[in-house]
Amino acid sequence: MDNEIKIKIDGLSFFYNEHRVLNNITAGFPEHTITAIVGPSGKGKTTFLMTLNRLWESISEARMEGRVEIRFGDRFHKIYDPSYPLSQLRRLVGMVFQVPNPLPMSIYKNVAFPLKLAGMKDKNIISGKVETALKRAFLWEEVKDRLTDNAFALSGGQQQRLCIARALTLGPEILLLDEPTSSLDANAGAVIEELMLSLKERCTLLMVSHYLDQVKRIADTTMELSDGKLLEYPNS
Amino acid sequence: MMDRVLEKVVAGFSWICAMVLLGTVFCIVGYLLINGLGTINVTLIFGETDPVDALLFRKQVFDGLFPAIVGTFALVALSVSFAVPIGIAAGIYMAEYCRGVLKRVFSLFFDVLAGIPSIVVGLFGFSVAIFLHNYFSSRIYPCLLISALSLAFLVLPYLIRTTQISLENLPEDIRQTAPALGATKLQNIFYVLIPRSLSGMASGVILSIGRCAEDTAVIMLTGAVTMVGVPKSVFSNYEALPFYIYYISSQYSNKQELLSGYGAAIILLVICGLLFTVAFFVKHRLAYHALYRQ
Repeated sequence: MDNEIKIKIDGLSFFYNEHRVLNNITAGFPEHTITAIVGPSGKGKTTFLMTLNRLWESISEARMEGRVEIRFGDRFHKIYDPSYPLSQLRRLVGMVFQVPNPLPMSIYKNVAFPLKLAGMKDKNIISGKVETALKRAFLWEEVKDRLTDNAFALSGGQQQRLCIARALTLGPEILLLDEPTSSLDANAGAVIEELMLSLKERCTLLMVSHYLDQVKRIADTTMELSDGKLLEYPNS
Repeated sequence: MMDRVLEKVVAGFSWICAMVLLGTVFCIVGYLLINGLGTINVTLIFGETDPVDALLFRKQVFDGLFPAIVGTFALVALSVSFAVPIGIAAGIYMAEYCRGVLKRVFSLFFDVLAGIPSIVVGLFGFSVAIFLHNYFSSRIYPCLLISALSLAFLVLPYLIRTTQISLENLPEDIRQTAPALGATKLQNIFYVLIPRSLSGMASGVILSIGRCAEDTAVIMLTGAVTMVGVPKSVFSNYEALPFYIYYISSQYSNKQELLSGYGAAIILLVICGLLFTVAFFVKHRLAYHALYRQ
């Protein structure tokens, strides 16, 4: 891999109460690649993703040690530094969940939601960004005539692409995907896989997956998380 | 084999319980309707006064239920508007901000508050009114405002609890949706968590409306009387339907008077139904505005 390192992790350990989930992980992830993280269920794969956007911090009784640095622009930022703004981090590190989680509002409002959170007011800019995000998520053609419909009217696969579009609205540099196809049928999953490959161009993708065949198809690197250690998976 | 019998027995028992409840409701409402429906007419509500004059508050009604109806509406509106903002804000605080020992202490206090009998709340309101009368102004006496404040205290714990529980029951993935997109805690609460738990909060509000409309113990000690007409201000005495029903049922002098009590009960039921419907629509409009507006 010749690409430059985007994410640097150093001595990362994670605990729920006194139960150690991640044990002294040190790793680097090159930019514009897809890294798949495999491993047994319930062993901290989702937790590992959440250490990269600090989403675990709302969980009580969770504790983390170690350092996570991400390169935005031309230098590395310590994302756990108190001076690093959390909302900016979350805008640059998008996340897609296992079960599609659109908000109970229209398709358009879902995609525009992060812009609203960021305080953007200009209607023209917003609708431009919504259109771009939907196009990048391969959803524009299917929804352009019914943007005001309730997002729950979409199929599961479409909902998941809507969530990806929503995560893309603010132009993130890293996209974390937590088993993004596991709640979908094979066809809907294939569209998402294709979509992830196309997103490599702008983002660095980290994906948790259970399907080894899926991992083989799209991942540049595969890592296995087991016993709290993150190791390069053999045969990848 | 035993398992299957047990399954059937439990299901059957549950069905019977539901039927008993439903049957009781039908019996009560039916009994009210049979006894009271015949008495409901313009005279019961407006007495000898011209209805148009009464509705425009040009003339007082002293021999009908109109002042009690107005009083009940005023009482519910006032108490709910005192209690809802405070109750919902406290519920949000309990669910989203309060942690640890403090949360346990507050929970205990709210449970104690919920367990206080309404007659005690009424006595407290009465004592406050007397205290204010003695030490601040002799023009303060038990009145609509004191009643509304006491009732607000009575329903606060329900509002706090329903708000808190409906927020706390939101699944983790809904909680994390907005923060993952860069929302601050406050943005998450206002844009996602509150809209998603509106129906739970609305049920708390509906419960409190019902409680304010029906409670008698509080108001009989804090300012409800018979025969004063429509209240002129929040500092005056007032009439209310539950108090009228209580008064008639304990003091009636002939059958006709007793029957007018049934009539009043039906009117009270209708008013509660009306208020519930309003609350229901407000909830839907709110959800629409919070979520779907383009």
